[in-house]
Amino acid sequence: MTGLRIGRLVLLGVVALLVLGGFAAGDVTVLSGSNLSSMAVFAVEVGIIAFGQTFVICGGDGGIDLSVGAISGLAEVLTGMLIRSGSPWPLAVLAGVAGGAVMGLINGMAATLLRIPAIIVTLATMFMFSGLALVATTGINIDLTSAPPAFLAIGQGKLLGLPFQLVCLYLPILVLLALLQHRGVFGRALYLTGTNALAARLAGISVGRLRATTYVIAGTLAGIAGIIGAARLGTATPEGTDQANLISIAIVVLGGASIFGGDGSVLGTALATVVIAIADYGLSYNDYNPIFQAGVIGVILVIVVLAENVLRHRLERRAAAKMEEGTV
Amino acid sequence: MSVHAGMEAAPARNWPGLAAGREVALLVALVAVALAVSIVSRGTFWNPVNIRSLMVTSAITAIPATGMTIVILTGGIDVSIGSMLGLVAAIGGLAFEAGWPLPLVAPLFCATGGLLGLVNALVILRGGVPPVVATLGTLSIFRMCVFLVLGSNWITAIPPGLTTIFIATRIGPLPMVSVIALLLMAGAAVILRAHRGGRHVYAVGNNEEAARLSGIPVRRIRLVSYVLLGVCTGAAALVQLGQSPLVQTSTGTGFELSVIAAVVLGGTELAGGRGTLLGTLLGTLIVSLVTDAIVLMHIQPFWGGVVLGLIILASVGAGHLGQMRRQEVI
Repeated sequence: MTGLRIGRLVLLGVVALLVLGGFAAGDVTVLSGSNLSSMAVFAVEVGIIAFGQTFVICGGDGGIDLSVGAISGLAEVLTGMLIRSGSPWPLAVLAGVAGGAVMGLINGMAATLLRIPAIIVTLATMFMFSGLALVATTGINIDLTSAPPAFLAIGQGKLLGLPFQLVCLYLPILVLLALLQHRGVFGRALYLTGTNALAARLAGISVGRLRATTYVIAGTLAGIAGIIGAARLGTATPEGTDQANLISIAIVVLGGASIFGGDGSVLGTALATVVIAIADYGLSYNDYNPIFQAGVIGVILVIVVLAENVLRHRLERRAAAKMEEGTV
Repeated sequence: MSVHAGMEAAPARNWPGLAAGREVALLVALVAVALAVSIVSRGTFWNPVNIRSLMVTSAITAIPATGMTIVILTGGIDVSIGSMLGLVAAIGGLAFEAGWPLPLVAPLFCATGGLLGLVNALVILRGGVPPVVATLGTLSIFRMCVFLVLGSNWITAIPPGLTTIFIATRIGPLPMVSVIALLLMAGAAVILRAHRGGRHVYAVGNNEEAARLSGIPVRRIRLVSYVLLGVCTGAAALVQLGQSPLVQTSTGTGFELSVIAAVVLGGTELAGGRGTLLGTLLGTLIVSLVTDAIVLMHIQPFWGGVVLGLIILASVGAGHLGQMRRQEVI
């Protein structure tokens, strides 16, 4: 499978166990069922956003989406306001998800039709979407504690003792996206586009439309993540998922995707999400400040990429040396 | 793209052409926005207090925007400067608290900024980490360091001399900060335009491989650009304390966004190799003007982000559409 290296998955698994073991050594209660379940609940929201980020980055051409946090905020505000105005909750949820898709479409069109670099597009739309969310709510959270219980169950329900959103949303989305990426034409076309856009175009792939689709996917998923968060907390906040940009990009890079495109897999992303979730939850469990948690994620991001580059250089040098020996 | 990149190699031809057109458009936009604001605000815009605060705010953005322009010209980017500004202010604030005199602390601000810029440069150049990823990481790392330095305390022991020197002292109609920012920009513009090192900046951004093959020290140019941005950010941290004499953990949050917005609005291309400091100056003024206008017109401050985002998309999008039309002829 392109973009999925077994070695990377094993490495991530080991790192996840080490981090978890480290926290457990400090305080065994971290391993209790309710704590593991809170960890999973945190992972679901950033994890779903990171899936979308994986597709966008995989499309190449400097693809990156800095607006995912803002999209999640505006989508959950939209859903929250509709519920407060008395609309049936499935309609409100649908509107939030559709809103996320439309915001992603705006990103995709600006990045592909107008050929504006993705960083600038999504920086600008980040300003716009989070600004609109703040304007709509005048900066105040929308209280949803009196929303229909069926809606709140999206973020608070349990199924077979496991969080509802993990079993009924995260895992199905993961399976769907993994099939899309590794077993479908779309995934093959996306890898080719990210690796060599010219070759993709000559092979008859509509490169622009394909890349725009990745932004729509990212927007839709960010919308879903925002709504899950609103249902979990019983409030819709215009800020959306906390630190979504940093965490989602860190997860994608940690999961083995190349920031230059054409590489990476949602399966790697899923495993990297586990690592980040454990680190983040372990820190907040031990009462570290959120600023500190973000800092640690930054350290993990930089160190992993650094270590990988150093290792790759060394391996390449060794391979080159071997080649030279062979010729002599 | 490649056609224009080729043209860029001959700056003399390029100046009256593409770039100048962009700057005239920006100037027209600036005048239009200023006119609209002065009409809607019924003249309160021209209140000397407002004009002075506008000049101070834009100068504080313009100083790091100068460094950011150079970094982006080489094809890099630095999204960490908001946290960098906070960290420099926190460390400098501690020095103020310890009673160090201003002439000693001022260089400390610039040196700390330069050092943090060097950290970014080493991670990017030595470690081979893409600039966005590296500085996104240091954005949160520097912020964590601010938190480690300050705890949950505020630093308020900022000498009033800062305000006196940078904000209250005026040369002609301009506050001292604005004069400093303008001199810095003019100096950097001359270097970019006429000095060998400045030309190398454009060469590296246009075609790194070609630059390397023609003997330009590509890595050194890149390194210097990040360090320079750090020094500028340090200077901005000092001046900013003159405007609001308080350091807290959130100091500088989101600052990187307005600086990058100003540079991008000014027509500097993220791919590198194309852009001018005159454009950045105009971009800075537009960004500050929009923010100021929203306060003046008593609109919810949250509209600021919406308007700024729209302006960036519209302006960069229009530029790209024009470019594509020209390329279709070929």
